[in-house]
Amino acid sequence: MKHNRMRAHFAGILVLLFAGVGQVTFAQESHIGGLTGEASRGKKLYRRYCVGCHGPLGDGRGENAPWIDPKPRDFVTGTFKCRSTPTGALPTDEDLYKSVTRGFVNSNMPSWLPLTRQQRADLVAYVKTFSSSFREEKPPSPLSMPSESAANQQSIQSGNELYQKMNCWSCHGKEGRGDGPSAQTLVDNRGYPIPPYDFSVGTRFKCGESNQDLYRILMTGLDGTPMPSFANGLTPAQAWDVVHYIRTLQMNVKRKKQTAENEKKDGGESKPVGAQPE
Amino acid sequence: MLLRLRAAVIFILVLGVVLSVRQPAHAIPAFARKYDLPCSACHEAWPKLNDFGIAFRDRGYQLGNEKDSPIWQNPSYWPITFRITPEWHRESSSNQVVDTVPGNPALGQTYQDVTTHGFDFSGLDIWAAGTLYKDISFSVLPSADSSGSFHFENVFVRFDNLFRTRWLNLKLGKFELDNLVSEKRMLFLSSNGGFYQVYHYTPFREVQFRASNPPIVQFNPVFGIGDNQLGVELSGHSENSYARYSVALLSSNEGSPGLPNRTYDGWASFNQGFAVGKLGVQRVGAFAFFGQRPTFFNTSFGSPVLSEGLGNKSLYRAGLTGLFYIKKVDFSTVFVHGWDNVFLGTGTAANAPLPVGARGPTWNGGFVETHFTYSPQLVFVQRNEIVRMSRQVFRTDPRDLGDIDAFSFGLRYYPFMFSRAGLALHTEYSLVRSYKSASPLPTSTSPFGPDLRSSSVFIGLDFAF
Amino acid sequence: MRTRINYLQIGVTAALVLLTAHGAGTRTLRAIGTSSEAREDTSGAATLSGIVKLEGSQPVATRINMAADPACLKMHSAPVMSEEVATGTNGALKDAIVYISDGLGNRTFDPPTEPVVFEQKGCTYNPHILGMRARQTLKVANSDPTTHNIHPAPQNNREWNLSQPPGSSPIEESFAREEIIPVKCNVHPWMKGYIAVFKHPYFAITSKDGTFDLRNVPPGEYTIETWHEKYGVLTQKVTLETNQTRTLEFVFKR
Ligand SMILES: [Cu+2]
Repeated sequence: MKHNRMRAHFAGILVLLFAGVGQVTFAQESHIGGLTGEASRGKKLYRRYCVGCHGPLGDGRGENAPWIDPKPRDFVTGTFKCRSTPTGALPTDEDLYKSVTRGFVNSNMPSWLPLTRQQRADLVAYVKTFSSSFREEKPPSPLSMPSESAANQQSIQSGNELYQKMNCWSCHGKEGRGDGPSAQTLVDNRGYPIPPYDFSVGTRFKCGESNQDLYRILMTGLDGTPMPSFANGLTPAQAWDVVHYIRTLQMNVKRKKQTAENEKKDGGESKPVGAQPE
Repeated sequence: MLLRLRAAVIFILVLGVVLSVRQPAHAIPAFARKYDLPCSACHEAWPKLNDFGIAFRDRGYQLGNEKDSPIWQNPSYWPITFRITPEWHRESSSNQVVDTVPGNPALGQTYQDVTTHGFDFSGLDIWAAGTLYKDISFSVLPSADSSGSFHFENVFVRFDNLFRTRWLNLKLGKFELDNLVSEKRMLFLSSNGGFYQVYHYTPFREVQFRASNPPIVQFNPVFGIGDNQLGVELSGHSENSYARYSVALLSSNEGSPGLPNRTYDGWASFNQGFAVGKLGVQRVGAFAFFGQRPTFFNTSFGSPVLSEGLGNKSLYRAGLTGLFYIKKVDFSTVFVHGWDNVFLGTGTAANAPLPVGARGPTWNGGFVETHFTYSPQLVFVQRNEIVRMSRQVFRTDPRDLGDIDAFSFGLRYYPFMFSRAGLALHTEYSLVRSYKSASPLPTSTSPFGPDLRSSSVFIGLDFAF
Repeated sequence: MRTRINYLQIGVTAALVLLTAHGAGTRTLRAIGTSSEAREDTSGAATLSGIVKLEGSQPVATRINMAADPACLKMHSAPVMSEEVATGTNGALKDAIVYISDGLGNRTFDPPTEPVVFEQKGCTYNPHILGMRARQTLKVANSDPTTHNIHPAPQNNREWNLSQPPGSSPIEESFAREEIIPVKCNVHPWMKGYIAVFKHPYFAITSKDGTFDLRNVPPGEYTIETWHEKYGVLTQKVTLETNQTRTLEFVFKR
């Protein structure tokens, strides 16, 4: 229901073009902070950097896709792992920008940080053109994130209990080694096997490495994967407890300034801007 | 005697050119295969790196997704690349001294253009490069000239992120001196265009003197910024590699294994990039080299003990670099100031008297190389380069003796762009004018000849797998 | 941004006028979603009923092993069988979906205001196959003492995936577009169900005896499809006269 209005606009655009009322081209844009990305520029960059995996149609079927595991993202469905928005919703421009900037650990998607902010914004604008969803809908507001509670023993204990209660262990294992009873059965939305994250290896997480990123992964889920959103099941305070407990499962991580460092980085933590009211 | 000297000078000049061209140019499809990224992801137009490629190289050939170590690769992955260029080319040099009647030197000599052309092929690079482990990378590049004799263009092991900071990376072996504008990654291949004059410049007088002092010939050219050196390098970079530095301690032997190397040279470079709105990343940098070279050998019963060079004299190069992007057009710019000690400049052993009135030569040079990257598959290139002597060895020498003007243009077309191999149709025209550098005719009263003009036309298929 | 939208709306209005003048694009007009001329009109409506059967040797249902989650295991004293293929007597096939796939033309139907409920109970889905309307409210309930995640894997709608611990209130969602959506629980890999979304009310899910009933169908020529999660799709064409009652038989062959 909520999307009707946007769909109406989209249909309107089609009608408008179809009727030939002037050669109006609607700029496909992205807005990241004060930057405006343009799809026309993004297309050239996409051809240079991205097309080999994500393909000329953005369907994740580029010439290298058969050799890549995990498979490149299919942009056409509009389903994205790393979001600040609820499960099932479109990501904000900022979310996509961060993904391009950060890359995805344990995948072939590198960090495109060496590209300029403008170039990354342009890429986001172009990537959005592959899915009609971005013309039909607007991403909802990012989930709010109350400030982090103290990572004390009580919080960790509560997180441990929630880890059991929420069946996190079914996939991630009792000790967080990614070896739960359901681990072997998991597939992504294209049917390819996908292993649950093994906390003990201590690499950064799919969608970042700060506690805030971890909180967001818990509450938004990783759409397209078996990782659900816990927004319905956990209160914010409980989610922070789970975050604190998960940190204790990262055996191999030297725990120093774990959260602080990434907050400062380009493309790191910043105020959500993708869902500004139009 | 004079004739022999001149012959030697020509020989040295020719040798210098032969040694200088065909710098193995760097493009590594083995990395494209490893990471499933198209050539264009790392190369503006291969072999020239773009911002992403610079960062990849700075990270020690790693993308940083925890999959860089070879343990994550399919065992069939093999980090080998080879590159060679079958070609047709035409080389022409003006003002060559030839016999008026071929075969009969007694009838006198005259100036003539000497032109050759035909089918040919470049040297061969067989390059292995990759990671040995997380944060440990390597490179081995055996490179052959077109006759098939190999040398090791580079050999190194590199440790990245020492003490968990990207500002400390250590490289040991033979490697290219880090600079913003890499000669190894230039988009020119011909005999006249395929190297930067300012990266290899030696004053004309110095070449002449060295030609008459044979043991020292082995140190010619004295130093080339574009020549890979043996040593150890400490380097670092910001996360996006916009800020970069390199300091290196090098053997004073021009990267040749086994030559006398009891002294060390130093290299330092720094550059910083600025993202300027929609234009792209603009980078500026500076570099400096300070080194020493022996001027004579220890002798045993009069024969040189080649392992022991003595009488070290110093030289330096310093300069500024810039990479400027205006959307599809970019400019690589370099300015170099050079100085050689008077003993080096006159080819004089340090324990021998200097020629009267001799001074250490200094010069300035630079170039602007323009690329118009129409698409990742088509790039037009052009370069203007000049070298100007600022102080000749002798006050009486013509001011422009040994000055150089060089001009090149061409295009490279990549018929396909994907992640397994690369092919480029390369066409190029290059012209070099060396002031008063032709040999004088025997009848001439001047010790200097007219300007020397050399040109190359080059059409080749440059491929790498 | 706001000014652009306003401009757009003005443009749309202009385009509508143009289109109407050309007599084209009626469909597009409807897609805008404001007009709904064809209400459900029951006068003279036909009824289509029938049975879906499975021919050949009857399949043996496989047993589900719930050992991975003791909470699930404890809820069942009897063995739990897979619901993928469920048959009744004489080859009657349960959980096939029968629906009009073509022939309704431009009719549009407002979704019912009452929600449908998809329940997780005993670590299975109840019902195994749920039929619902596009944009109708879907309530997903968890009646189990364990945490499920409800994970529809649609093609035309956007995927979502929500964890639902025991005792939490039902999740309310909806799907905008027509499609038969597989639903999984990743925590309990044996949990598989389907939510069939239609933009019209003419669909039925066969009961244990394999029968179905499509009522109040306006007269017309239709393509009727039957979908089964294992045996695929069967198609028949029917013409329904005013007030007619017709029966159809669909037979899947193993
Ligand atoms: Cu479940």
